[in-house]
Amino acid sequence: MKLDPRTKLFLAVVANSVILSAPLVYGALMFAVPAILLLLERKWRFVLVFFSVYLAAALGFEHLKTMDVGRVGTLGVSTMMIISRMMPIGIVLYYVMQTTKVNEFLAAMARIHVPTKLTIPLTVMIRFFPTVFDEARAIGHAMRMRGIRLFSLHTLKNPFSILEYRLVPLLVSITKIGDELSIAAVTRGLSPETKRTCVATIGFHVQDVIVFMYCLIVTGSFVIASHETAKQSFVDFLSALFC
Amino acid sequence: MNITLKNVSFSYTDSLDDAVIKDLNLEIRSGQCVILAGESGCGKTTISKLINGLIPHYHSGTISGDILLGEKNTADITLAEISRYVGSVFQNPRSQFFNIDTDSEIAFGCENLAMPREEILQRVDRIVDEFHLQKLMGRNIFHLSGGEKQKIACASVAATMPEIFVLDEPSANLDLKTIAELKEIIARWKKAGKTVVVVEHRIHYLREIADRICYVKDGRIAYEWTPAELEAKGAEYAASLGLRCVNLKKIGDARLRGHDKKSVIASGAKQSLHESIVFTDLQFAYNRKFPILNIPSFTLPRNQITALIGHNGAGKSTLAQVLCKKSDAYLIMQDVNHQLFTESVLEEVLLGMRPQNEKTALEILAGLNLEQYAYEHPMALSGGQKQRVAIGSGVSSGRDIVIFDEPTSGLDYRQMLAVSATLQKLATSGKTLLVITHDPEFILNCCSNIIHLEHGKIAEQYPLQGHQEKLIETMLDE
Repeated sequence: MKLDPRTKLFLAVVANSVILSAPLVYGALMFAVPAILLLLERKWRFVLVFFSVYLAAALGFEHLKTMDVGRVGTLGVSTMMIISRMMPIGIVLYYVMQTTKVNEFLAAMARIHVPTKLTIPLTVMIRFFPTVFDEARAIGHAMRMRGIRLFSLHTLKNPFSILEYRLVPLLVSITKIGDELSIAAVTRGLSPETKRTCVATIGFHVQDVIVFMYCLIVTGSFVIASHETAKQSFVDFLSALFC
Repeated sequence: MNITLKNVSFSYTDSLDDAVIKDLNLEIRSGQCVILAGESGCGKTTISKLINGLIPHYHSGTISGDILLGEKNTADITLAEISRYVGSVFQNPRSQFFNIDTDSEIAFGCENLAMPREEILQRVDRIVDEFHLQKLMGRNIFHLSGGEKQKIACASVAATMPEIFVLDEPSANLDLKTIAELKEIIARWKKAGKTVVVVEHRIHYLREIADRICYVKDGRIAYEWTPAELEAKGAEYAASLGLRCVNLKKIGDARLRGHDKKSVIASGAKQSLHESIVFTDLQFAYNRKFPILNIPSFTLPRNQITALIGHNGAGKSTLAQVLCKKSDAYLIMQDVNHQLFTESVLEEVLLGMRPQNEKTALEILAGLNLEQYAYEHPMALSGGQKQRVAIGSGVSSGRDIVIFDEPTSGLDYRQMLAVSATLQKLATSGKTLLVITHDPEFILNCCSNIIHLEHGKIAEQYPLQGHQEKLIETMLDE
């Protein structure tokens, strides 16, 4: 199922703000949208792994957050919180990156009059991330061959070395690739000054409307609910003041 | 469209004192195919960048003189306008795409020229027919092989129908079969009256197409020949200038007679170590019904260099990976940047060493002519030096089998010889080497055995001695 890039952008913004600011239930409701969309793209394994980790972290946090778990436990609980908050954002961005074609994105941004000076760098990002993952995979392979594992005596002794081994080659190769990508774009005539056409057809369909409505309903109910609790706590506050 | 370079000098720095291009004059007539050849670092790629406008519009530096495309001076027009006349294909197939899917990539250039949608779709259809790309349409760029990517790159540049094509070492990562397809594409462009400039030190595939070969040295055109003239001068002459073989069919002749004698002696000495490492039951499959690799048993002659050949997708890299898992083989990757992690060359060699011993590490580095770089950062070294650092880390890990994935792709003759020498030294020091390669010159130079892989199975295995012609034929057929 294809969504318009503008819907995806809306989804990303709304989902991220709800996930970061609302209670977990609303976060889970927003999480469901990219998860279902990714299932429709047949990314079963990704969704399954992501969803189980998310569920474990979220339930763990809800269950443990009011308990006294000690100093180490607090570290664990806060990690759970970070995971349950950050993962939905990850999945939304993954969905957008995976399914948006570069030229569709350019067309959609032109449609809502975002200046090309801003959209061209953003498009480079869409193209850039999969390349980075591709590189990271190759580097991981090289590390395993040299016997550098994520968890070993050596890495336990020097936890930062693993970061260095991973990042140094990655940074070197991605700076080079970034440069080559820009060269590829400019020699093919991509330029902020000139007008361009687009072969990709973009436009709103039923699925876009459904996603829009769903996002609005979830956000709306969260706003109303929080309004209710706010009102309730205000009443409580007043009665406490006068009694 | 004529290309004229008039008294052009260029330097990547602020002053022309350390110029890469010095007072260059070059005229390429409309409809000609010209090869810019020369050793690495001679300035040939810089010349291609002067033509496609990346200099002065993308790379900064100091420039003097005029570069004219037809009547237009490239300094006066924008890159977007230059891209209407000049289409560029680059060496690295991984990073010359801006889109993630093949269809969009072919349409991309036309979109940037703001052509109407219907016309773009027509053009894409026509290009797909012309380049026989039906099977590659609608595919993710990341799932294509190097050769397929290079084909898409050529097709997408051709879609805007520029008058001039500039190709920078387009054959560097391709096997001989794909190079033959590249040759057809270039021949078609020339026939259509386009001007084609190819930066390349592998000249053999352009032998029948190129009008002239300009040999660049120190930023100037030092010599000019037609391909026939160069061939007539003999293989020794081309090799002395760092050029790769001009005619693959004659590769067994002159140049190799000298090497033959050497390798006879060498293999005679090796005969005494007549011994093999046997592997059994090498299998790999993503899906049980379609095994990618199925080798019941195979032998690797100890302390010798064995070449692993076979077309793209035959399972060569998979075999290398399986060997790494099954035995204690060490793999030197094609992109060595991926396997250098640490802050200094010495540390790189010490990393996999058990127990760590600095003295031994320095000895290993000395053996690879790297001792003076022991405290440098690996990323600050040249490509060839990095490759030797990676080899050093393989040696220090104490593994007996070292596998190389295309160690000579994109190298000129001199660099290729240097790699051969390193590998031969490694073999003499007691390592067993397996080299994945598409480079016949390299095989003839230093390998002693051939394994030909086909559809995940070993099609043939034979010693090189006495089978040189068979090898060339197999590789050309691939």
